[in-house]
Amino acid sequence: MAVSLTPDELLRRVEGDVRRAIRRGRNGLRYAAGTDRPKVGLTPKDVVWRRDKAEVWRYRSEGRTGSVPPVRSDRPAPVRVRYAPPVLVVHSLVSRSYVLDLHPRNSAVRFLLGAGLDVMLLDWGVADAVEAENTLETYADGYLPAAIDAAREAAGTDDVTLLGYCFGGVLSLLGVARHPDLPVRNLAVMATPVDYSGMRALTGLIREGRLDPDELVDETGNVPPEAIENAFRLLRPTGDLASYATLWQNLWNDEYVEGYQAMAQWTRDHVPFPGATFRQTVEQLVRDNALVDGTLRLGGRTVDLGAITVPFLNVMAEYDHIVPIDAAQPLTALVGSEDVTELRLKAGHVGLVASRTAAKVTLPQIAGWIAGHSGRVEG
Amino acid sequence: MAGRPPLWRRAFDAVEKPLGDALASGARSGAFADVLAIAVRVNRRAQREVERRTRRALHLVNLPAATDVRRLSQQVTDLQRQVRSLERELQAATDRKPRKPPARR
Repeated sequence: MAVSLTPDELLRRVEGDVRRAIRRGRNGLRYAAGTDRPKVGLTPKDVVWRRDKAEVWRYRSEGRTGSVPPVRSDRPAPVRVRYAPPVLVVHSLVSRSYVLDLHPRNSAVRFLLGAGLDVMLLDWGVADAVEAENTLETYADGYLPAAIDAAREAAGTDDVTLLGYCFGGVLSLLGVARHPDLPVRNLAVMATPVDYSGMRALTGLIREGRLDPDELVDETGNVPPEAIENAFRLLRPTGDLASYATLWQNLWNDEYVEGYQAMAQWTRDHVPFPGATFRQTVEQLVRDNALVDGTLRLGGRTVDLGAITVPFLNVMAEYDHIVPIDAAQPLTALVGSEDVTELRLKAGHVGLVASRTAAKVTLPQIAGWIAGHSGRVEG
Repeated sequence: MAGRPPLWRRAFDAVEKPLGDALASGARSGAFADVLAIAVRVNRRAQREVERRTRRALHLVNLPAATDVRRLSQQVTDLQRQVRSLERELQAATDRKPRKPPARR
């Protein structure tokens, strides 16, 4: 098909191409030089609780401890807290929690604040040799109940809404199942694996006993971050190449490059997984599939997910290659709650919380469910 | 802008997608898992062997080796754990202790 252009149109097109080429060159040089490291986790927050390396952060909302400045954000500044109880986000043990507050324009935390929720985050810090003996009980019976108490106290409420992400969801489930009297009004989990037979791609090497958990543990007693990264990389061996191709395609776009750098930093920024928790995870959750079979024993007691009776939300990502739907879906039938909601969202594992889809599709539905199961704050 | 991707990108996708799927499927196979398990073991054994030899050499000239540092580091870790445990006990004791009523004047 022949396309005829007027001289003006041709000039405009050439100008546009030159401008793009200049931006592409500038961004490419900056990226290659590594001089423009993205700033992550920018939403202002206060530490309201600390035990060992675990901390609870409370993000600032208008009318509380100061307003959230609209730093380079095209999102409206968060509004006043309109709902109670606070939402305590429980993060995973293998990755950095700043994925939830990656960038002012791509922040699940800012979104939830903007929806009028009082947002807190339980961050586990970076495990070292001291944490190597931490077991699932350490988290479910020790840190989690204490963090919930601290969150309640900070917000002046009787209870909290727990929102667990990935392995943080598993810890939340274990905490609430083992302590049904915990002051938790609602429990929501995102991309949380319970049926480990549905995660064969990630767990194949250890599930069938080709490797023992101890063979993956380093001299600190923990699973090193490189092992975790390599396991994820094997799920999509050409994933890095594809993402570089997308970067090249969008190198002229400052906003894209900024977001890409933040995400790339996060995907190479895993933390050690405590060895004792890893052993329990492999032996009981992966090999015995004990969460689904109802045979998981912690601290001499069997964990019954049926003991969870609070309103429950199970969020799954349809394109999740780390925790596929098959691994997350059975959870809906395992909890004992009468008020159970299941959300299948068209996103990937990380895309659930950090992507354009997250802001448009996933987070509004999650925030909506939480708001609908919370009380209105007067004033 | 959701236009059609450039030609190079379409060509890349045409190769990357099937290649990626084939590699991912290979990475999930039992044979690959066997090879990986052997590689992990060989790597650990090689590391241990290198450590053993360098330790001997370093000790000959009275220098500490990685294993010595590791041993010390383990002792510090044990101490940190004991401090944590004491902190917990102290906190629990403080929480249990009944508060004194204010002194009457």
